[in-house]
Amino acid sequence: MINIENLIVRFDNAEVLQSINLDIPEGTWSCLVGPNGAGKTTLLRTMLGMQPYSGSIKYNDREIAKNKSLNIAFVPQRPSIPAAMSVAEYVMLGRAKLDGWGKESAHSRNIVHEMLEATQLLGMQSQLVNTLSGGEMQRVLIARALVQEPEVMLLDEPTSALDLHHQISVLNKVEEIKATGVTIISTMHDITLGAMYAERIIIMQSGRVLLDGESHAVIHSPELRSAFDDRISVHQLENGRPVIIAAKRELTI
Amino acid sequence: MKQNQIDRVWRWQITASAAAALLIACLLGVGFGPVNLDFGSIIRTLLGLPNGLENEDRTLLLELRLPRVVLGALVGAALATSGAVYQSVFRNPLADPYLLGVASGAGLGATIAITNGGGDLHALLPIFAFLGGVLAVAATFLVAGRLFADPSTLLLAGIAVGSFATAFQTYLQQRNSAALRPVYSWILGELTVANWDVVKWAGFYILIALAVLIRISKVLDALMLSDEEAYSLGVSPQKIRMIAVAAATLATATAVSASGLIGFVGIVVPHLVRGLTKRATNRSLLSIAFVGAAFLVIADLGARTLLSPAELPIGVITAFVGAPFFLFVLRARNRGSQ
Repeated sequence: MINIENLIVRFDNAEVLQSINLDIPEGTWSCLVGPNGAGKTTLLRTMLGMQPYSGSIKYNDREIAKNKSLNIAFVPQRPSIPAAMSVAEYVMLGRAKLDGWGKESAHSRNIVHEMLEATQLLGMQSQLVNTLSGGEMQRVLIARALVQEPEVMLLDEPTSALDLHHQISVLNKVEEIKATGVTIISTMHDITLGAMYAERIIIMQSGRVLLDGESHAVIHSPELRSAFDDRISVHQLENGRPVIIAAKRELTI
Repeated sequence: MKQNQIDRVWRWQITASAAAALLIACLLGVGFGPVNLDFGSIIRTLLGLPNGLENEDRTLLLELRLPRVVLGALVGAALATSGAVYQSVFRNPLADPYLLGVASGAGLGATIAITNGGGDLHALLPIFAFLGGVLAVAATFLVAGRLFADPSTLLLAGIAVGSFATAFQTYLQQRNSAALRPVYSWILGELTVANWDVVKWAGFYILIALAVLIRISKVLDALMLSDEEAYSLGVSPQKIRMIAVAAATLATATAVSASGLIGFVGIVVPHLVRGLTKRATNRSLLSIAFVGAAFLVIADLGARTLLSPAELPIGVITAFVGAPFFLFVLRARNRGSQ
């Protein structure tokens, strides 16, 4: 269980996260949704220990910042793609915390092999990462995060640069990971897609949690539209599945 | 993964070949010149065996050529390794060791020494160049705001500080036109000042910096990931960058103050080694150091012998080789991306 209590993060004097309180059960998928600047990525970075904060973030009653053995993996929105590094070498970097930098145990090589197989990357293990397509790179990032054998996996907009086919393929993979007991916290712009996979939606706006609950309930709540300044509308498909789209109206930029 | 093992053997072979190339380059460097020395006699002299060189030849080898070759090797290793590290830290394959204003700062320091030095220029110039280079990098960090804001802020701050130092250097040169020629000559690089005293102090700083860089080379892998991923693997990328930049700057500032500005080594050598090893540059630092050292020793041999008895600035030789190589790499990259 992850407990976030009265979490405040300041940049200079501005509070970019204001009194965040969340309880996230183990082995669940929570999706942070909100407009740009809502504080979603800052919340993920704070959970990694990159931002100083007040309040507390605990994993199984231990403060995350003090728990060096806790394994939290991160899948970035904009990866840093090195030249002259193969897919297998890049994925192997995920073992650095367990093996030590620059070392590879036989066990790690097996884990990397398994993960490359699971993410359909085995055929391209020797290919350089800077020659991959967006969808292939996203699978490499997920494979790199998975070989970390994380207890918690943070994904920042994992599907933002992908076409629909690859979005579904990546989200299906994340769902499989969740089924193994890993706690997933992702940010996503697309609430429809988020609600389709995550059992929980957390709507953020201006550094605050505006709505937090079971996906279906959040999507149908009247506060959802006000969170997006009435710029969205909720429609129902024939099978009852909700679809949220941007409302057509005059916008000032 | 048998392919991994094959790759590892291949990479060690490249490191061993680079070390052998350095030894051969050093032998050629001490052997050839206006007076050629016999290789067998050189080896016997260096190993303290009988029938070595005697009299003037012995002095020529031990007091003139050997310190020059050793200094060339140290400077080449420093520039090539620093270039490779800067390319990792700034995630930019075209980053070179003079990026953060160290060259302009050293140039300003050297100009101050030349315009005001008068007496013992050879003693003053390296000290002023070293101080100028280090102070310029310190100013870059200061302008960037925080100790390690982010690579692009630091890069822009380096450009600003470098421009300021260059402007000040030009102002000093305009006020003292007699300094133009020695400053220009220094800017093109030279190893003529080499003696065992210079080798000792330059070697001290360069070897410390190289030892630090090779020691942290594996953790530099973390800089290939996003900062968030590096944190998730228990590494603070800011700290690693700071240590890497500090050590690379120390090596560069020392190299510049001992030999002037020698261009292209920091870009050509890492690209060359990366092309051979197919590895990210931080994973081949030892090979890069050896190849950089060999490259500069051979370039200096060319500088000494091509127009003998006159001597070319070594920076001219490295630019003659480096610029076409650079264009070749650029074309190859473009072809690859099409």
